[in-house]
Amino acid sequence: MSENPTRLSPAARLSRWLKNVASAARARRQAAEKRNLHLGNEHSEPVANAGSASAAVFRLPVKWLVSGPPFIFLLLFFVAPGLIMVLASFRYPGEFGGLAPVISVDPNALHGLTLETYGFFFSDLIYAEIFAKSFLVALAATLTCLVMAYPLALLIARSPKKSRDPMVLLVILPFASNFLIRIYAWMILLGPQAVPSLLVNGLLGTLGMAPVHLLFSPFAVLVALVYVHLPFMVLPLYTNLEKHDPVLLDAARDLGANAWQRFWRVTFPLSLPGIFSGATLVFIPVLGMFAIPDILGGTGDMLIGNLIKEQFLGTRDWPFGSTLSIMLTITVLACVWLAARLGGMGRRHA
Amino acid sequence: MRSLLLCIMLLIGNARAENVLYLYNWNNYISDETVARFEKQCACRVMQDYYSDNEEMLAKLAAGASGYDIIVPTGNAMESLIRQKALRPLDKSRLPNLRNINPAYLNTAFDPGNRFSVPYAYTLSLLGYNAEKMREQGLPTDTWAVIFEPKYLEKVKGRITVLDSQRELMAAALKYLGYSANDTDELHWKQARDLIIRAKPYWAAFNASSYIKELTVGDIWLVHGYSNDIFQANLDAQKAGRKFSIASGIPKEGAVLALDSMVLHKTGPRPDLAHQFINFMLDGSNSAELTNLIGSGNPNRDALQYIHPEIAQNPAIFPDPQHQMHLEMLRDLNRHQRRVLSRIWTEIKLK
Amino acid sequence: MRRGFWLWVAALAAYAFLYLPLLIVIIYSFNDSRLNAEWVGFTWHWYNVLLHDKDMLAAAGNSLLIALASSLIATLIGTMAGIAMYRYKMRVLTFMVMTPVAMPEILLGVSLLLFFIQVLNLTLGMLSIVLAHITFSIGFVAIVVRTSLAGLDESLFEAARDCGASPWETFRHITFPLILPSVIAGGLMAFTLSLDDFVITFFTAGVGVSTLPLRIYSMIKIAVTPEVNAVSTLLMLLTLTMIVLVSRIAPNVLRWRA
Repeated sequence: MSENPTRLSPAARLSRWLKNVASAARARRQAAEKRNLHLGNEHSEPVANAGSASAAVFRLPVKWLVSGPPFIFLLLFFVAPGLIMVLASFRYPGEFGGLAPVISVDPNALHGLTLETYGFFFSDLIYAEIFAKSFLVALAATLTCLVMAYPLALLIARSPKKSRDPMVLLVILPFASNFLIRIYAWMILLGPQAVPSLLVNGLLGTLGMAPVHLLFSPFAVLVALVYVHLPFMVLPLYTNLEKHDPVLLDAARDLGANAWQRFWRVTFPLSLPGIFSGATLVFIPVLGMFAIPDILGGTGDMLIGNLIKEQFLGTRDWPFGSTLSIMLTITVLACVWLAARLGGMGRRHA
Repeated sequence: MRSLLLCIMLLIGNARAENVLYLYNWNNYISDETVARFEKQCACRVMQDYYSDNEEMLAKLAAGASGYDIIVPTGNAMESLIRQKALRPLDKSRLPNLRNINPAYLNTAFDPGNRFSVPYAYTLSLLGYNAEKMREQGLPTDTWAVIFEPKYLEKVKGRITVLDSQRELMAAALKYLGYSANDTDELHWKQARDLIIRAKPYWAAFNASSYIKELTVGDIWLVHGYSNDIFQANLDAQKAGRKFSIASGIPKEGAVLALDSMVLHKTGPRPDLAHQFINFMLDGSNSAELTNLIGSGNPNRDALQYIHPEIAQNPAIFPDPQHQMHLEMLRDLNRHQRRVLSRIWTEIKLK
Repeated sequence: MRRGFWLWVAALAAYAFLYLPLLIVIIYSFNDSRLNAEWVGFTWHWYNVLLHDKDMLAAAGNSLLIALASSLIATLIGTMAGIAMYRYKMRVLTFMVMTPVAMPEILLGVSLLLFFIQVLNLTLGMLSIVLAHITFSIGFVAIVVRTSLAGLDESLFEAARDCGASPWETFRHITFPLILPSVIAGGLMAFTLSLDDFVITFFTAGVGVSTLPLRIYSMIKIAVTPEVNAVSTLLMLLTLTMIVLVSRIAPNVLRWRA
């Protein structure tokens, strides 16, 4: 900084300045490394940041400038709609659909707030049943995903470093197709004249059993659910498995553990956090699914999602649709909390 | 890339066009030729949006859809729209062709005096079947029993679909039980529910649309469906060179007749074009075009002369007086009934 | 290595499971038959049908416009959110950003439907779809940006401050160029997500404005012809291009970080 900086062109000035920043950064980093050696605490950095009070005061408006727009936008289009839905669940349905007014000039018209919709929901076991059923379907899909994803994730994690990225990319790539197209693909594949159907029914025929229909069945729904969500299971599992230290397996081998024992005693327990984060990513979206049962389902395939959709786009019963949505939200939150607890436990065990 | 540019141009074109008639219609419910002819005559463009279920249309309108000049709802949905005061009264002086309509289809309970509506076409909800397969199995095709009674169902297990519509399926069951399709007695509804649940294991799916294809391919042999869809399935099967034909049968217990009418929505910007369109569609030859295309029933007396004889003589499209007696149009339900029916429907699906 | 062998078999089966269905969709787009049941012969017919399908082209146009508008705005807001989440560790904001990503789409769709009609009294259409898409895209952009910020060397910022840079200068000359690839990748991601979204669009579209996924849905439900396969194939190509672009600009985005 010996020369007068104003004489340089802006670009040159910037590049010089950046060079200074870089060398200062190097010094900083070294200092930080020393500090870390002493403290062994990754949070020391922000603590050091907060040290200068004047900077903090200066940053305050910047903070609101940066966080304000996303905050306001999400308040308006995420939080407010959520609250409106809570309110809607306490209102009466409108005569022709929609909602009855909260305040009405005509005292005879249905208006105000009510617990009637919640009463309707809780007075009847059928709605608990549909929640339980959706739960079971989501569980089945999650477990199937797990069984299919585990070998794949393990193989990728144990492949040479260079081939891992392309292998992961191959898992993500089917996402390049629209969600509906992936469902539609199974509509073709499970049709009665397609190969899987012919194979299965040929086999059943030789065994003297009646043919089955693959399309429009709970089986079709499950296959599509697994198909659509499989990558969500593979990716977190892989991320977890990749971090395992091979030394552990070697140690187990030295102690005389066979392959099976090594898997169940070492790899599997260590991968529990990965399993739980994958399970959350599969389980939750399946709970709210409506398109797959709609398109591929048979006569009994109705999940919560279908029921919610029907209330808004069929029966025109918005309060009940809102009540169902709120119940679903509570269920989802409970699941997330549970998975976090279980995942945490898995981590502690490991 | 070319198609991309084309889209953008189309979009801009749409925004600029002055004379546009917005039509909210059933899926596949007007012939392209008819539209093209009308566009030429009125020097305007017809923009269409489609629905495949009255409930869907009502729900979308309740969700604030607007700007439609003309909607083509079925009676009960129209009744609901009238009571919501969502429709614009017709100016009959601008509809000289109204006299073509068969009076039997005028002055319905939904719109006494036709202040708001003009009949467009009708369909029946009936049985559609693969004629060869049903003959092979020796099954009757003139009664709802064939989709509700296990003794028949056993022979066609997994080869049947029924309409994925609360009202239509309940109507079929109620009719079979000897009640009115518009019965709202909860006890009767429960009987119908039990009947449906007993038959359900034999059905392949609840299906409101793709059964046309399933019939054509030959996977499904028997459907509870709409007359025009079944007509379409047969045309497709013949075109694809299938060795069977698809036929339809009106159950003797009676069935649902859905009379679709043209109405003017309040939010429509062009009532003038809308009246012009309605009068155009009331012309016999234009009206016949739809029947010839999709096999819909036609309430237009003037149209009969233009309709292909094999369609005009099809009893599932133009039922004889004896069957006509048993046909019923569905009425709208109130909010309480809607909730109860939805609950029953959930039970049906879940059991 | 018997175990390795079985692992390969299982993994290959999983890959086959992932790819076979899509392959079938592509192959059948060239099938010379209205019914998607058996192979009849090769044809370009369905692509030709597609090019002349007014509704489909209009839907494609809508999809592109919506994706463009929503991804631009979501990128701006999402980048801000990502920076705020990283820099100020705001828990409430983090919650508000992450929840729409994590919860079932139907809930967001339904609550927005209620909100647009009940509160804003908005006619559902282009605007409502764009707003909805921004809402769910913000989270994805923010996550990408935050991850990239977390990967940066903290000491760079401190050094910049030591050299007398104002926060704006630090951002303008150091932070922004470093996170730019992630911002662009986040934007492309938002674009792809918007182009692809069905569930939320389904509830916020009303009538009159259709998007490609909505058209595909009604085609699947009503009249299944290989035209669906043709449009699917083209759409796959487009999304594939986007993915390749993303991976070129910011290779790290596609590497999963839990």
